[in-house]
Amino acid sequence: MNGQIGVYICECGPNIKDRIDIDKVIEDISSLGDVKTVKRFPLLCSNDGKKFLEEEIKKEDLSHLVVAACSPREHEKTFMDVCEQADFNPYLFQLINIREHCAWMISDKNEATAKAIKYIRAGIRRVALHRPLEKKEIESIPDVLVIGGGVSGLEASLSLAGKDRRVYLVEKTGSLGGMAKKLSQLLPNQGSNLSLIDEKVEQVHNNENILVSTSSTVGDVRGFLGNFEIVIHTDGETSGFRKAQVGAIVVATGFDVFDPEENSQYGYGIDNVFTAQEFEEQIKSGNVLLKSGKPPESVAIIHCVGRKERGYCSKVCCCYSIKFAHYLKDNLSNVNVSELYVDLCLPHKSDQEYFEEAKKKGVHFVRSEEEINVNQKGDQIEVEYHSEGKTDSIVVDMVVLAPAMIPSGDTPELAHLLNIPLDKSGFFKEIHEVLDPISTPIEGIYIAGCATGPKNIPESIVQSQAASGKILSSLIPGEKIVPEVKVSEIREEFCTGCQTCLSVCFYGAIRFDSFKGISVVNEAICRGCGSCVGSCPSGAIRSKHFTYPQLYREILEALR
Amino acid sequence: MDTEFKPNIVGFLCNWCSYAGADLAGSSKMEIEPSLSVIRVMCSSRINSNLVLSSLLWGADGVLVAGCHPGDCHYERGNYYARRRFALLKKILEVLDLEPDRLQLSWISASEGKRYSEVVNTFAEHISQAGPNSLAHNPKV
Amino acid sequence: MKKQNVLVVGAGLAGMKAALLLANAGVTVYLLEKESLIGGQTIKFEEVYPNMECATCMVSPIQQDVLQNKNIELFLLSELESVEGETGRFKVKISKKARYVSLVNCIGCDACYEPCPVNLDNEFEENLSKKKAISVPCAGALPNVPNIDPENCLRLNGKKKECKACQEACVFDAIDFTEKDETLDLEVGAILVATGFDLFDIETLPQFGYGKFPNVYSAMEFERLYAQNGPTEGELILRKDGDLKSIGIIHCVGRKEQGYCSGVCCMYSAKFAHFLKHKIHEAKIYEFYTDLCIPGKSHQSFYEETRQKGVDFIHNETIRVESQKDRLQITYRDGNGSDSVVPMDMVILSPAMIPGKGTEQLAKTLGINLDKHGFFNTQNERLSPVSTEREGIFVIGCAEGPKDIPDSVLQAEAAVGKILASFR
Repeated sequence: MNGQIGVYICECGPNIKDRIDIDKVIEDISSLGDVKTVKRFPLLCSNDGKKFLEEEIKKEDLSHLVVAACSPREHEKTFMDVCEQADFNPYLFQLINIREHCAWMISDKNEATAKAIKYIRAGIRRVALHRPLEKKEIESIPDVLVIGGGVSGLEASLSLAGKDRRVYLVEKTGSLGGMAKKLSQLLPNQGSNLSLIDEKVEQVHNNENILVSTSSTVGDVRGFLGNFEIVIHTDGETSGFRKAQVGAIVVATGFDVFDPEENSQYGYGIDNVFTAQEFEEQIKSGNVLLKSGKPPESVAIIHCVGRKERGYCSKVCCCYSIKFAHYLKDNLSNVNVSELYVDLCLPHKSDQEYFEEAKKKGVHFVRSEEEINVNQKGDQIEVEYHSEGKTDSIVVDMVVLAPAMIPSGDTPELAHLLNIPLDKSGFFKEIHEVLDPISTPIEGIYIAGCATGPKNIPESIVQSQAASGKILSSLIPGEKIVPEVKVSEIREEFCTGCQTCLSVCFYGAIRFDSFKGISVVNEAICRGCGSCVGSCPSGAIRSKHFTYPQLYREILEALR
Repeated sequence: MDTEFKPNIVGFLCNWCSYAGADLAGSSKMEIEPSLSVIRVMCSSRINSNLVLSSLLWGADGVLVAGCHPGDCHYERGNYYARRRFALLKKILEVLDLEPDRLQLSWISASEGKRYSEVVNTFAEHISQAGPNSLAHNPKV
Repeated sequence: MKKQNVLVVGAGLAGMKAALLLANAGVTVYLLEKESLIGGQTIKFEEVYPNMECATCMVSPIQQDVLQNKNIELFLLSELESVEGETGRFKVKISKKARYVSLVNCIGCDACYEPCPVNLDNEFEENLSKKKAISVPCAGALPNVPNIDPENCLRLNGKKKECKACQEACVFDAIDFTEKDETLDLEVGAILVATGFDLFDIETLPQFGYGKFPNVYSAMEFERLYAQNGPTEGELILRKDGDLKSIGIIHCVGRKEQGYCSGVCCMYSAKFAHFLKHKIHEAKIYEFYTDLCIPGKSHQSFYEETRQKGVDFIHNETIRVESQKDRLQITYRDGNGSDSVVPMDMVILSPAMIPGKGTEQLAKTLGINLDKHGFFNTQNERLSPVSTEREGIFVIGCAEGPKDIPDSVLQAEAAVGKILASFR
């Protein structure tokens, strides 16, 4: 091969110059085949240095470029930009780290120099195998599918829909509003104003860019960010199916509640033992009454129902239980209210005050262990609990159970359809719990609200707005998507169709072409980790920019 | 045995954690044994038997594979694949009649410059004592 | 409204995430940071709960992205001076302090630190280490360029006007003593406030013995003490040397005084116990809590794992730290009113999160309200958790109230959603 490789060594002031014998390096590598020129420069990342490199690329008519300087984490992008400036494909360039990995970690100058020579030779041998890689541009559709018409779904739809972006909102029940519609009132820090939910429903219905399908489910989903094909099934009067194309999907399928009948200790089924949801309905009707038609004189609210069974705290129960206590104290004279809690979970800055106000109204807060027994005692109910090693009990007219939030029933089915994972509690699993809490391994599919776990209403709204932030930032009407360049590719002739690669790809970037009997990489999805390359038994998969020959050459030079 | 034995060690480092840890060792001016040559890959899951065994057959006295700590992988699960392959590779080394501890897998995070220096220096010391790789023959390049 | 420039105040995790997302949409972002480096508080952590991931590994790619993004213009050592106008056309004034070291010329070789004759406490390291008047706060700081502290630099504070030790050591011509503080005028369409939090001053509560007993540590001190890139490179070297057999972690320090639960201390205290158990197997670890607040779906299993490792979780009503014959001891009262005493070798205090310094002034500058705790107020009748009463100004992350990393990230993304939707 008649390469025209240019090698440029950065002195990095004294950092490389004083610790590595650059003249010796130049002498050693100048004689290598394909090397057209070797030069040193005081500081290549400076403006002068960048200009110098740009001119060199053109003047020397280089086929490949090697820069020996600092870590690629520091200046790989700087020099790739220089390449682009010089109309030179940036993937024909290799940065060799002789500062951090030689000059700065080997104090013996001869050894450091020898090491630098080794690394630069490896870089020269490797870069000779580099091929120009081109950025691809993929057309994308800005429209969005929102699954679920509760608070999260409504918020996502409203913040996404616009004159250049349509939203398909799919709701499995006959009407919009979700669980929030069943509430009697919101918490004070949530605005207290329930009519907001109705307003949002109204706004969604009035928005011509939101196509609402109630009594509907998503039947099929294929594709990737910018290019999903979906099918919406509708039951009832307007039954049928609609096909559409969307660029992104927001899953906002909400939650269900733990069934207290699962564990007899909670006494559900005994007269005047209600779930929180049943109690909300009573408040809503304006009549909190016992079966006998009389108002209760004593009420026990039991927190954490199902926490021990489910293995997590649902975060919202403490606050709404306190809301119930406030309601009872404000509306029933002389009612005695006890809250039996394991731990008070009041993580929002205004929660504690709300709790202290309830205490001031005379609500009894009783710390108990999770083991609680609710039994009939005459016309009344006995609640037996354990606290600090002692067993105690109270007798009340009414018991309200605050059950855990659990994944909504159709979650597993939808996870399968969308090819996204679930966590060990059965909620959808976010791609990164800490850094990216609404994204999934499938780029373009986001999860908002309680579908990933228990949340209150403002948190669900934040999640929906966050999903729209992600979508508005990445799917811009009229603009194309530029995927990762250093991706994997499968060479058809070597692929045996074993599908090992499908099982290791976390991002669902590989599909099996059953007609040809081979696996195919979707370059729009691949993120270039190389897991599939490592796993391919027939060596059919090539990782662009990290090919076997390229790495072999690095190994051989390391062993020279 | 040659008393002046200087081992040749190949170190595959993942871009996001271990390579960053090595950079930190460098910028903290920690003294690192020069017998290890670094090869950067995006993820430790890229490393498989081809690369490890080629290194050994071509004369490497030791091979280090370093990736993000379990649970920290930039690509979510890559280092778990690396770990599984690694267990298998150890068995292959036994079959080749090569000491399995010529191959080492370590988790090194981006903040662990010190750990990088300890891992590399200890491994290099160990390989120095183990002597040259008996399998090694020079390839025809 | 067309696409406009956006000002982000604060380059912690929330600010950086928001800036990157906006920049990705083609928006020009002015990112303001009062410190000399970006990354906020998260970069001080070694690991984050619940998966004990390495914080540096998580955050440093984000910092690099911010530094390399062409749509983000970074203003370090800068603060917001004034804001005029309204949404869509805010005119803002920024005061930018001189760094005295060129971000362009400096390559971060650290040759200038050694010759500097001034030794100072390093606040970033919770004063657990020393620094020079020219320095970066910790290894791996980004941008990896030092700044000169003009109050302590002998040349700049006038105590030794001829000193140019650092300048002589610098071969990159990066040090410029003549650099002046400046004010800059910018026009932006929206403002995002991400100024973070501070921690409750535990010295105001004498019952915890902080400042009195050397081996009583604050949570942030402990974070740095166990960080690999911290002052002791992750070694547990205590202020007062001795055996570490018994360690107490006290939750809710300042909860009563502040009037709220910070929502994160239980989890990071459990994180400390994880680390300690890993480091010193035989040590006895006690967690003293008032309520366990572990609201994330995976948090309870983290807590249970911690307990399985043999960590004792003890509920208490009141608690105090004392010294008995040169050894620390914790006295606590349980729910039945009975007192117990446990001897300790080290005590870690988990303080409440409080509004960041300067929040009150910033609120005035921005013309927005604070809540009764002194955080920015975003509670409103519209159920819009990141909006303020002044249109076009948004508050995200811990500037709005205590929260964990994912909630801060979500608020950042949500505010971007609101801003980009308004540009339509």
